[in-house]
Amino acid sequence: MFHTAIQALRYNKLKTFLIYFSLTFSIVSIFLISSIAHGIIGMYSTMLQNDGNIIITQKKIADTFFSNVDIHLLDTIGKLENVSSASGMILGAAPVGSLPIVAIYGVTKNRFKNYKLLQNRYPALGEALVGASIYQKLQDKKSIQIANKTFKISGVFASDIGFENGGIVLNIQDAGKIFHKSASILLINTRLNANIQTIIKNIKKLDTNIDVKSTQNFVKNYNQFKIIETSAHVISLLAFIMGLISVVSIMSISVNQRQNEFGIKRALGISMQKIIAHLLSESLILALASFFSAAVLAQTLLSIIKALPQLQGYVNGSISIELFLWIFLTSLMMTLLGSILPALKAAQTDPILLIQGNRS
Amino acid sequence: MITAINISHRYQNDLVLQNITLHIFKGEFVVFTGESGSGKSTLLSILSTLLTPSEGSLLFFGEKIEAIADIDLFRRENIGFIFQFHYLIEYLTVKENLKIANEKVTDTSINALTQRLGIVELLDKYPNEISGGQRQRVAIARALINKPKVIFADEPTGNLDSQNSLIVFELFQELAQEGTTIIATTHNKKLAKFADTQYEVRDGQL
Repeated sequence: MFHTAIQALRYNKLKTFLIYFSLTFSIVSIFLISSIAHGIIGMYSTMLQNDGNIIITQKKIADTFFSNVDIHLLDTIGKLENVSSASGMILGAAPVGSLPIVAIYGVTKNRFKNYKLLQNRYPALGEALVGASIYQKLQDKKSIQIANKTFKISGVFASDIGFENGGIVLNIQDAGKIFHKSASILLINTRLNANIQTIIKNIKKLDTNIDVKSTQNFVKNYNQFKIIETSAHVISLLAFIMGLISVVSIMSISVNQRQNEFGIKRALGISMQKIIAHLLSESLILALASFFSAAVLAQTLLSIIKALPQLQGYVNGSISIELFLWIFLTSLMMTLLGSILPALKAAQTDPILLIQGNRS
Repeated sequence: MITAINISHRYQNDLVLQNITLHIFKGEFVVFTGESGSGKSTLLSILSTLLTPSEGSLLFFGEKIEAIADIDLFRRENIGFIFQFHYLIEYLTVKENLKIANEKVTDTSINALTQRLGIVELLDKYPNEISGGQRQRVAIARALINKPKVIFADEPTGNLDSQNSLIVFELFQELAQEGTTIIATTHNKKLAKFADTQYEVRDGQL
């Protein structure tokens, strides 16, 4: 059956190409939007999860960028039972030199170890540690200007997280002066087997203006992630519908043009199920070809996007096995769903049409 | 073998067949002649089970056609079709076109049949690589591949020259002598003479 399906696809080249092109385009769109959203969420949550399993933000804020938490809480929290370490962080963004926007991380000294040094040393006050991808773009490799303040470049670091690699690390005190806050978030590491809920309860007692959550819970409920995920799902759904409509339209045209073929099959006594199976096998072949082409194309585009200096590594899509399988199933569903109505129509072709041409 | 009792048919309000009653025997070669629009192709469509008549009954082997549970299987096992146009599937070779009618047919059977029809050397060719007469012979081979009990041929020589037309009707005559029932329509009165029985269809009546 698949041999015959391939012959039919090869014979109807234009329609085969149009369906293949539409499917590939839709699947690439789903791949790109899902993997980029997945990548952004993954980068940010990895960054947070690397530093602790409890996160403290200001209560009732829409985003961590607006959060302001008293950094002095770190001293008390550090002394709580089962807390192994505590660090603070300011998350901000500012124009740097000719670059319109760059991520700025103001961090406490105990967090420096997270940034793998490529050159020189960690920053002292008034100095900045620069991410590898941002460093390449700087004209002045010795100092940088952030919000009218000049910082000497103390060193260069590398990070697998695109947001960090394209950002600048300052001492939290320096970042505090730029962004006029104490800390955006506090990150707490607990000892193994510690009861996180008890620690969260104890931290909450320290300040009524703070929100304390396990990092896992924070990531799951973070509004920005929900917005990104929802947007990705909506755009993916639109791409899915566009692909589906293309398959339905082109398959319907194809079935109309191949009416004589289905008519003669019906006249020869070939069952409706066999005709449907034949058309679905054509669609399955197209779905598989389009999916694998789209996967290669999407991976290539993601690599290009990742390497684009203009994006500073911030757009770093990743295709996980789960995402790959999910899109694979979606692609099959899109194609088979789009083919089922035209296939039913083909199977119902009345062989009388073969006589109707010269009905007398 | 085939019995039509008081068959009438309408297309919307047009009465195209009126009270047709006939009986066709095994191995009989029957030809319907008539002008365009006379109703002969409609009658052929009804007799071949492709069209359900508005009124009347059709019996195959003494059984009412409505009582047949699997009409696809019935057609596959009992009926062969030949149309004015060959309707070969363009993306399949001659051999593959023959096999769509019967996937299980052996190469020996295909060779024997195509040898008889003079198209054995065309088995690996595509329909667009052979002549009109050869295509119609392939269509005949496709109709015969299942060894049907009855063959319905709707203007089978409509697109053929006189020599190829003659070959087709001579073949029908041979097949009928071998026991296959042949029911055909034609405009050509000379070809109709090959038949055992001729019916002229005029204004929907025999």
